Amino acid sequence: MKKTWKIVGRHIVLAVLAIIWLIPVFWLVVTTFGVEKGINTNHFFPEHWTLANYHQLFFEPDAAANFPAWFKNSMIIGVFSCLVSSIFVIMTAYAFSFIEFKGRKKLMSFSLILGMFPGVLSMIAMYFILKMLGLTDSVVGLIILYSGASGLGYLILKGFFDTIPTSLHEAAKLEGASEATIFAKIVVPLSKPMIVYTVINSFLNPWMDFVMVRLMIKSKNAADWTMALGLFNLLQRALVNQYFAYFCCGGLMIAVPISILFIIMQKFYVEGVTGGAVKG
Amino acid sequence: MKKIGNYFKDFGLAIAHGDIWVKLSLIIMGAGYFGRKQIMRGILMTLLQVGVLASIFGVFAPYMSKLNTLGTVQREEVFDIVTMKKTVNNYDNSLLILLYGIIGILVIIAFIALYIGNIKATYRIQKMQENGEKLNTFLDDLTSFKNERFHITLLTLPSLGVILINIIPILFMVCIAFTNYDENHQPPTYLFTWVGIKNFVNLFTTSQTITFGYAFVRVLIWTLIWAVLATATTFLGGILLAQFINHEDTKFKGMWRTLFVITIGIPQFVTLLLISKMFGDNGIVNTFCSNVGILDFFKNIGLLNAGDSFIPFLSRPGWAHVTIILVNIWVGIPYQMLVATGILMNIPSDQIESAKIDGANKFQIFWKITMPYVMFITGPSLIQSVIGNINNFNVIYLLTYNYKTTNMAMANSHANEVDLLITWLFRLTNEYSNFKMASVIGIVTFVVCAALSLLTFSRMIGGDKEGVYR
Amino acid sequence: MKRKLVSALLVSTMVATAFVGCGSAAEETTDSAATETTEEGASSDDAIANLIASTEGTVNIDLWCSETEEYQTVMKKLCDDFAAQYPDVDLNITLGAVSEADMKDRVLEDVEAAADVFVFPDDQLEALVKAGALNEVAAQYTYDMNETDTAATVEAGQYNGKQYGYPFTASNGYFLYYDKNQLSDEDVASWEALTAKAEELGKEVGCETANGWYLYGFFKGAGCNLTENEDQSNNCDWNNETGLAAAESLQKIASSKAYKSYGNDDLLANLNDGKVVAYVSGTWNVNAFSEAYGDGYAATKLPTFEVNGEAKQMASYSGYKFVGVNAYAENTGWSMLLAEYLTNATSQEAVYEATGEGPSNTEALAKASSPALDALAAQSEFAELQRVGGNYWTPAESLGKNILEGKVSQKVLDDAVAGITQPVE
Repeated sequence: MKKTWKIVGRHIVLAVLAIIWLIPVFWLVVTTFGVEKGINTNHFFPEHWTLANYHQLFFEPDAAANFPAWFKNSMIIGVFSCLVSSIFVIMTAYAFSFIEFKGRKKLMSFSLILGMFPGVLSMIAMYFILKMLGLTDSVVGLIILYSGASGLGYLILKGFFDTIPTSLHEAAKLEGASEATIFAKIVVPLSKPMIVYTVINSFLNPWMDFVMVRLMIKSKNAADWTMALGLFNLLQRALVNQYFAYFCCGGLMIAVPISILFIIMQKFYVEGVTGGAVKG
Repeated sequence: MKKIGNYFKDFGLAIAHGDIWVKLSLIIMGAGYFGRKQIMRGILMTLLQVGVLASIFGVFAPYMSKLNTLGTVQREEVFDIVTMKKTVNNYDNSLLILLYGIIGILVIIAFIALYIGNIKATYRIQKMQENGEKLNTFLDDLTSFKNERFHITLLTLPSLGVILINIIPILFMVCIAFTNYDENHQPPTYLFTWVGIKNFVNLFTTSQTITFGYAFVRVLIWTLIWAVLATATTFLGGILLAQFINHEDTKFKGMWRTLFVITIGIPQFVTLLLISKMFGDNGIVNTFCSNVGILDFFKNIGLLNAGDSFIPFLSRPGWAHVTIILVNIWVGIPYQMLVATGILMNIPSDQIESAKIDGANKFQIFWKITMPYVMFITGPSLIQSVIGNINNFNVIYLLTYNYKTTNMAMANSHANEVDLLITWLFRLTNEYSNFKMASVIGIVTFVVCAALSLLTFSRMIGGDKEGVYR
Repeated sequence: MKRKLVSALLVSTMVATAFVGCGSAAEETTDSAATETTEEGASSDDAIANLIASTEGTVNIDLWCSETEEYQTVMKKLCDDFAAQYPDVDLNITLGAVSEADMKDRVLEDVEAAADVFVFPDDQLEALVKAGALNEVAAQYTYDMNETDTAATVEAGQYNGKQYGYPFTASNGYFLYYDKNQLSDEDVASWEALTAKAEELGKEVGCETANGWYLYGFFKGAGCNLTENEDQSNNCDWNNETGLAAAESLQKIASSKAYKSYGNDDLLANLNDGKVVAYVSGTWNVNAFSEAYGDGYAATKLPTFEVNGEAKQMASYSGYKFVGVNAYAENTGWSMLLAEYLTNATSQEAVYEATGEGPSNTEALAKASSPALDALAAQSEFAELQRVGGNYWTPAESLGKNILEGKVSQKVLDDAVAGITQPVE
């Protein structure tokens, strides 16, 4: 009996926490259905309900707001930088975790230090480097920008690789497998959950950045912007009163692919468990 | 020192004892390989040499020659009102001179290293040939990148990316700190030039009007407090939540996880903006608090003055600091929960089983087994996340972009109490074009971070800890 | 009909417009000493004909202006009309959407990549000129702004005696919106009456006090001064006795429960909820106020407030928008012609029709009438041109916040003045 109460209590605590976490999201959702286009900080629920905002979002692009184009641009940039940067992170983490080469520790310390320099400061320099390469205003330029330095984010994956027994590695070597084979056939499959985490993180970064992209995209044609840039732009004083509901709709729609990603990711956790069992 | 000495000694020896092919390599870098019938290698090396030299002389040299002054010719234009055409002189652009100059220097350094390495390599091959050892074919070379030189294969591209996106911009901004690049010296129309350490002196000076020193100390302290608190709270919170959800008694684990994870799906600038509206002086939370009497309660216990008509969640120091930390917990825990879940799933179950058999209770298991394991994997990345939080632009900027300080000394250097160094920097560059001071602040931040983390990091990866769980 | 080339620049056909570094002596102004020489053959039509003759291929011009739908539509139409005027030239004008408040930042990020022609508010003029981003208006070809616009307007587009902006609108200042169904003329005459009445009604009135742009109105109205020196530092005497009295008076007004200092978002939210019955704002909010107040919609000059027992008229900054040509524009000639076209009388009328913003062209302004523009006109005699160094804003904002929190003291004013007047290196 006591046990039942404990279980119920546990779920009540979880429910309360979940509500706290979901209130702003809930507000976002109800705002998207409001007739009022501007921001309203006094009411939680809109006074009149409508679906017009969604119609505007998908079918009525104008000079300031062009959600379908933004979605497409962000998707392209997101997918490619995600590919490149996940590969970079995995490669770096593997090299630092499994290969004993000269200067490894020094390189690791150096890479850690590099990550400490405030990125906001180097934006201008990055912009002019891209300009030198003729890549401003191009998708390629943004992909380079988002994925170029991603190798520095190897630490957590390396930490995970460090738990994979060296015996596995050595045994494979004795059987004549090259480092490349071990990497592709043994280590990567074993680390799926962590790799999925890495992949999602690499996707989120370009998907949500609004600071850097503002400097890098010079085009002022709304159809050339990314999602984050476009949505953030709607918060300008001249626009917010007309587009706040639109902004909320857009924000909610961005969440859809991400949420799907996370739901898929849950599956990998289960595999992570079995992976651990084999290993243990 | 001795290492460097040896480095050049070997180089000298290689030239002195090398045969004609090695000596030819001094001019044509591929020569040493052509002589030993390693044609592909030779061609590649020569092409590389030609390419690099062409870029140095063709692109970078004109800029590098002006590095000492950063340019002397200011832009001048003449507009002919009859033809309506404009002619412009051939002017210098300090910013490009500095940037291209830096890249040029890097290219030259890399080329010299390559050059010396190349001579040594050709000499080594000569030795191998003399001793009758088998020389690598081009195919052998390629295979080696899959095996003993696999790390080079893995690290080359990521390193290039880091150099391009990270190192060059950092060097550039470090240099800016020693120039007078500000509102009155903006390229391309105007030139900026070197001013030595004047900007650093400014940062540590405090007078009634120059308050950078005053503001800097306060901003730095809050930045450090924020970074540590933000990291610690979300990290612990994330693990606890993950544990809580993973507990055997919890039903619908996937559903609970999904509920929390939904908040990650929505971009931070959307949620944070909404939250900053909700907690605004006239926001919905304040309306609610004054309706149910929380406002009066705070007044009664002395947290607010009698005259206050709202709770200054995000508009008064102290209040704002607490709100920011709490909101960050809201933002950060779902992420951390995900990481922790992934890791907790992989805890070697035998350890927990044996601990249970030994009669350890849950609390002990958590602190003695779970935590060390989690710390082992995430430890180094924890430092990274402290640093990430020092440079956490989004949360602070989006929550407090409307914050106004009442502290005049802070205001006089465009700072406020809830600014992190990074948001202060951002404002200095973005709104006041004060790049020189921003760079100085950036460097000092960087030094502080580097010192702190090198200390802890060498502990984390020092010793033999890396192999503990293998 | 051949129009004479405007201004004296024909004396020498070429004018070196070397960008003079800050602080160095400003060159003699060429505009004011205009001796209109009537050289035969050097007319504006010839210049334009020269330009057309020497133009080959497509002329690409980027134009950045406000991102609102009304603006984009009307500007698009004006650009098309402009292109239609020159059928022999292949003009390709691209419109870009940039918030006017951010125009300076967006342009200065990379001047060379910025638009050839852009619309900006007058407070950004100084920063743009200092960065060398604006092309000097060396001559005008289709109209003379000295004839079509008031001297004050033209002057607002000048810096160090040189003309940089083509006057576009003259309605970027602030005034008082109110609901005449709830407030009488006497109520909106002074802040004291206004707050008293609002308290009685249980409604809200106010002005964004923690913002240097509005705060200036109170101190200037009380008789204090804020001026800019040549090196972009400020002179400010707000810490004298009058300043302290003004600050204390404002603090007293602000202590009223009805007085609010809302940012724009909060203002609009509370306006839509029917809480705000009078507020200091500008033409950018004209639709919001007219919708919220319905037939009670009204606007007037700013109220007075009491300093040392004397009613003082609150002053304000007048505000203009200009069209500027980028100093790095690819086709300077065509960009200048486009800028002129966008700012001529007919274009300004079209912009007024579309956006409700008041024309700077006196002829076009005469045809325009709305409560907001009338209020601006009434306020105009108390409005000053905004000329203030960059160090003003943050300390002023902080001073405003101190006033709102009831922390006014001689020391706060002294510190604020020290910050506002801090030297510029």
